[in-house]
Amino acid sequence: MSTSALQSLHNQRFRRTASLVLALIVILLLLATGTLLIGSFPLEFSQMLQAAQGELGQVSQMILVDYRLPRTLSALLVGACLGMAGAIFQTLMRNPLASPDLMGFSAGAGVGALSCVVLISSSYMVVGAIAGGLITAALVLLLSWKSGLSVYRLVLVGIGFNFVLVAILDLILSRIDINQAMEMNKWLAGTLNAIQWRHVEQLVIGMLLLLPLAFWLQFKLNCLALDDDLATALGIEVNRTRLAIIIVGVLLTALAVTVAGPLPFIAFVSGPIARRLLRSSDAVLFTAALVGALVTLLADTCARYLAVWVNMPTGVFTALIGAPYLLWLLASQIRRGQI
Amino acid sequence: MTMIEEHSESIAANRLRAKDISVTLQKNEILNQLSIDIPDRKVTIIIGPNACGKSTLLRSLARLQSLSAGQVLLDGKNIRQHKTRAVAQELAILPQIPIAPEGTRVYDLVSRGRTPYQSALSQWSQEDADKVAYALQVTGMSDFVKRPLEALSGGQRQRAWIAMALAQDTDLLLLDEPTTFLDLPHQIEVLELAVRLNREQQRTIVMVLHDINLAARYGDHLIAMKDGAIYTQGTPDEVVNKQTMKAIFDLDCHIIRAPGHDLPHVIPV
Repeated sequence: MSTSALQSLHNQRFRRTASLVLALIVILLLLATGTLLIGSFPLEFSQMLQAAQGELGQVSQMILVDYRLPRTLSALLVGACLGMAGAIFQTLMRNPLASPDLMGFSAGAGVGALSCVVLISSSYMVVGAIAGGLITAALVLLLSWKSGLSVYRLVLVGIGFNFVLVAILDLILSRIDINQAMEMNKWLAGTLNAIQWRHVEQLVIGMLLLLPLAFWLQFKLNCLALDDDLATALGIEVNRTRLAIIIVGVLLTALAVTVAGPLPFIAFVSGPIARRLLRSSDAVLFTAALVGALVTLLADTCARYLAVWVNMPTGVFTALIGAPYLLWLLASQIRRGQI
Repeated sequence: MTMIEEHSESIAANRLRAKDISVTLQKNEILNQLSIDIPDRKVTIIIGPNACGKSTLLRSLARLQSLSAGQVLLDGKNIRQHKTRAVAQELAILPQIPIAPEGTRVYDLVSRGRTPYQSALSQWSQEDADKVAYALQVTGMSDFVKRPLEALSGGQRQRAWIAMALAQDTDLLLLDEPTTFLDLPHQIEVLELAVRLNREQQRTIVMVLHDINLAARYGDHLIAMKDGAIYTQGTPDEVVNKQTMKAIFDLDCHIIRAPGHDLPHVIPV
């Protein structure tokens, strides 16, 4: 094969990725604009332009700027965090089942955040979520480590931890003030209902810190996806890199959980969808982030739009999207004798 | 023993050497104070019975195995004190059963071989394209670049992996049983390729092989191992004889001269 043929293959691949990413961004922009306009108080596109110039009526302005805009933005950012976290762990553990929501990392972050709210103050929630997520990840990895990484042991230990952590969450909720418990219960089901601008700020700051790190590590992550020996052979410091990648993945999870609660299944579905779209076996973090944002925005729009008839948290809708995929994945892995 | 010592003295400046290395795995001693020089610009083949420590030796030489004692020297310096990335620019190893994620395409796999030369910011250069194109061409994989690994035959898959190691563009190339699972024509193909890389580009090749006759045919230098130590080493004629075969494999055999190329050939009794 000639160098130029290879170069054109490389360019072709690049163009494919670029056009898909561009298409996803356009879809996201259109959908995001749509979500700002629809709802029980419909707005016109022209009103949105007026709002940008500060010429809109007070009520419309409030609905748009204080209510819908932060909610849409946080859906996008939370989804992006979870999509990337999922793709990170699935690639690192070399298995689509190994997403932070299935392995108990999200629930761990939830326990950490809730403990912080109850014991200290809700302003330190993110610290609690990070601590909870890291401790859970450390325990799950330690308990499933036996002269190497066995993915199925890992997922089983993770699922076990998930049960324990959910029980702990219920225990905490049963012991605290009833009003606080109701408030926290909504958060735990995964909701973007009470989003404020400070949440968006938190997400943006977190993303600004974590995005460069994630992309820096992505290139090494793709080598770790081969296996440990090959990654070493290719000049990657395996243990150090793996630790860094796990920490970034947990931080992304904790960031999302702090704002929206442990929204189920977004981390789980985004990576595989992104890989399938790009026909790639890489981590494809950026595409996974866009897919995560899209799935979350869709689920939250359903939750918001249907709230007129049934008031259900966003998490219910993400589960409706993710659970059938989980069943299909398990069924196909069983059929191929991988479980 | 004196012969071995003399031998290692005379070529002390070899790039890759092991000095008194021991490896213990779950209380089993796999390698016991083993020292070896890998002759530069030669095809070295490690032979020996199952569980004699061949693969462990190869993995140790490539810093994949942690040692309980001793050290492996690359260019006179402990291989673990080199940056692992710098080592990856000098030495490539293909482990015995390499694994890639489902759906990995040949092109992506071989491109991974360029990792030691890339960073998060500069990911693809003209040189990378040249080396990957060369690796694909020399392994005969150019027509399969877009295929996922699962869709390849055993021989093709093995060649794809070798292409990845080749793309690393290293002087030292270590292959752990590269002929496993292959039928004879494909085994020959892989070994011919290894020898060609050595003859045409003076790369140092180290392989672990099961088949003594293939080892005798393709190796310049054979290392015969037994029980975690080196039993003997030297040219095929020095190593492949009745006495060594009896000692390392407990095999009674006749040695004949292989027709066509004057090398020893083992015929079990």
